[in-house]
Formats: sequence, structure tokens, C-alpha cells
Amino acid sequence: MAALWSRKREAAADEALIRSLYEEHGRALLAYATRLTGDRAAAEDVVQETLVRAWRHPDALVNGKGSVRGWLLTVTRNIVTDRIRARAARPQEVAETPLTPPVQRDHADSVVDSMVVLEALDRLSSDHRDVLMEIYFRGRSVTEAAEALGVPPGTVKSRSHYALRALRETFVGQQVALKGVAG
Amino acid sequence: MTTNHDPQLLGAYVLGVLDEREARAVEAHLASCPRCRAELTELRSMADVMGDVPPEALLDGPPEGGDLLLQRTLRQVRSERGAQLRRRQVGLGLVAAAVAAVVLGGGFAVGRGTAPDVAATQQASTQPVPPAGTRLGSATDPRTGARMTVQVKPAAGWVRVNASVAGIAENEKCRLFVVAKDGSRQEAGSWLVSAAGEKDGTNLDGSALIAPEDVAAIEVRNFDDERIVTVPV
Repeated sequence: MAALWSRKREAAADEALIRSLYEEHGRALLAYATRLTGDRAAAEDVVQETLVRAWRHPDALVNGKGSVRGWLLTVTRNIVTDRIRARAARPQEVAETPLTPPVQRDHADSVVDSMVVLEALDRLSSDHRDVLMEIYFRGRSVTEAAEALGVPPGTVKSRSHYALRALRETFVGQQVALKGVAG
Repeated sequence: MTTNHDPQLLGAYVLGVLDEREARAVEAHLASCPRCRAELTELRSMADVMGDVPPEALLDGPPEGGDLLLQRTLRQVRSERGAQLRRRQVGLGLVAAAVAAVVLGGGFAVGRGTAPDVAATQQASTQPVPPAGTRLGSATDPRTGARMTVQVKPAAGWVRVNASVAGIAENEKCRLFVVAKDGSRQEAGSWLVSAAGEKDGTNLDGSALIAPEDVAAIEVRNFDDERIVTVPV
């Protein structure tokens, strides 16, 4: 009663949070989970769990878009890994040790790295980001990328160089900052 | 080709998109240029780091055909939030009951109480803090004997009302009104008094489009528009 007003506002904020994460990152998460699980229905479950975990840990969502994406993807991968492990463990009926930590938890550094690199990619100029997207993530040749971006092949080459340089500069700065916070 | 110092090609070289002739030229140059080798090492470390990023990470927007997924997620969050609130609400109901008991000297209880042991643990941690501008009021109508305690909370240009009403006979059809200073009124809800309601009172939440500063009173009337109880706030 007394808290009715703030309660409704909290509920609305919950919904807004889930919706905005879904609108911004849903496609990336579902595509990733689908590849890892090889099963769309299972992937949807994983993404649902990922979003709910994000809602439970709003403190993980305070950084830039790239960091948030990196965090979400890491959570997705961990959920998939845990489920695969749980399934693999089920037939064994001896010596159940539920408190044993998972064998190969993601190394903290690699988590930080993927968050940092996504954040760094997000901060590149669009020219730089586009050329890396075409060449690295879409696997296009210089000629194809040049055509897609509407620039000469020579520009694709030089831009890909400066893009990597810019990425590295942001990356190194970010990595120090994040590891400083984490450490 | 050792004279061809062109660091701009190193990025494309690391990314593996130079054609064979260009790549050979770069390699020949690298063999004799420590600066370019150092540069190459740095760029390669970036390419390695990018290798950890799944290609899907670059997709933007919502998934196609993911509407059910979104709805399921929202439902799960709502129900988890609901579970948290039910735990909290136990405390709030009891505080309200305590307020009503103090104001009215006992006589009825609001319908949200629960086992006292739960109350003891919950109540301390959930002291409700009403938003600024919340007004409380209580009154007993000398004619009908009906009693009401109200809480009026301001919203943006309208109000939320919580009322605990007791002393009205079973089967009476009631309406809750918010009365403005100019005498106009807006209905905030209606109900039928049950046997339990006659005995223990009825607690209800409502809202009305009257600006918080214009609210003069909360009133209960029956469907014949006869006033049962009025609480000025």
C-alpha cells in the first residue's frame, strides 16, 4: 500500500530493462546461443536465462554497450557450458559432489578481453568499424569490402590498418581500466 | 622489395586479405625492418583478441521471431518480482493494520495480516516510506456508524487511494469517491460488503483523476448516492 507507487514504478523499470536488452542484444545472443547449442528452442531458453540474470545483476549493466554485450555473451556461454556439463554428468551415479566447481570456468582474463574488445569496437569511428566488420567478421576480400563500402581497395587496406591501430589503443587503455577495477 | 616500407599494408596483412603478391612483398620487407616487425606483433595481438569475439557479437537489434521469448522472459521477471513483493507486502499489511488499530482504537482489521511470527521478522526491514505529500485521515460517521481510514498518495496530476472501511452492513453496495475542493467527485472504486467485510472491514485500493492539491475528502456512498462516511484529508 504505502509502497504501491514505487512498486509499480519498479515493475515498469524491470520491463523496460528487459525490453531494451532484448531490443539491443537479443539478436546477437540468440544467434550465438543457437550456434553453441545447435537448437533454436534450447537457445531461446538460454537467452531467457541470460536476460533474467542480467535483470538480477543490474550492476553489470552500467558500462558501455560493448561491455554489456560482452557480459551478456559470456553469461550465455557459461549457461550453455553448464547445461552441457550437467547433461554429460547425469548418467554417472557415483560420487556426486555438487559442490565441486566446474572444471573449466572461463578464465577471467578472456572474459575481460571480450568485454573490452567489444567496448573498443563500439568506440571506433564508423569508418574503422565498418572495414573491420567487412573484412574480419564477414570474411570478405578487399575487393568485396571495397564494393560494399563504396571506397577504393587501397582505402580498405589503409583503413583496416588504422582501424586495428585505433582498436589497440582503446583496447590497451580499457583493459588497464577494467583490470584495475576487477583486480 | 626491401625498400618498400609501407606500414599501412600491415593491417590488411594481419587480417589475411592481401593477395599473394602483396603478401610476399610485405614479408620480404618485414625481414629487414624491425619497426614493421614490432608493429606487426602489436596488430597481430589485436587480431587474436578479436578472434575471441564470436561473430554473432556484432549483430544488432532484436532476434527475428523472438516475441515469445521476450514474453516468457517478462513473465519470469514479473513472477520473480511478485514473489519478492509478496514477502515484503506481509510487512506492509501489518503496518497498515497497526495504523488502523491505533487510529480507531481497534474494532476491525485490514484483510492482509498474516501469521505473527512472519510479521515480526518482516516488519522491521520493510518500514514503508510514503511518498512526499501522502495524506492520512480517519473518521467515524455518527449517523451510520461506518468507520474509514484513508491514505491518499499523490501521482502526476491524480491520486492513489487506500481505504479501510468498517461498520457497513453486509450486502451494501458501496462506491468510493475522491471529493475535490470544488465539490466535484470522481469514483475510485466500488464493492459489495461481504459478511467478513461487515465484521472485519474491507481494504481497497483505488485511484482518481483529481489533482493531489485539489483533494478535499474521501467518501463512501451507496448506489443510491447516500453518504455512508466521509473522511476529510
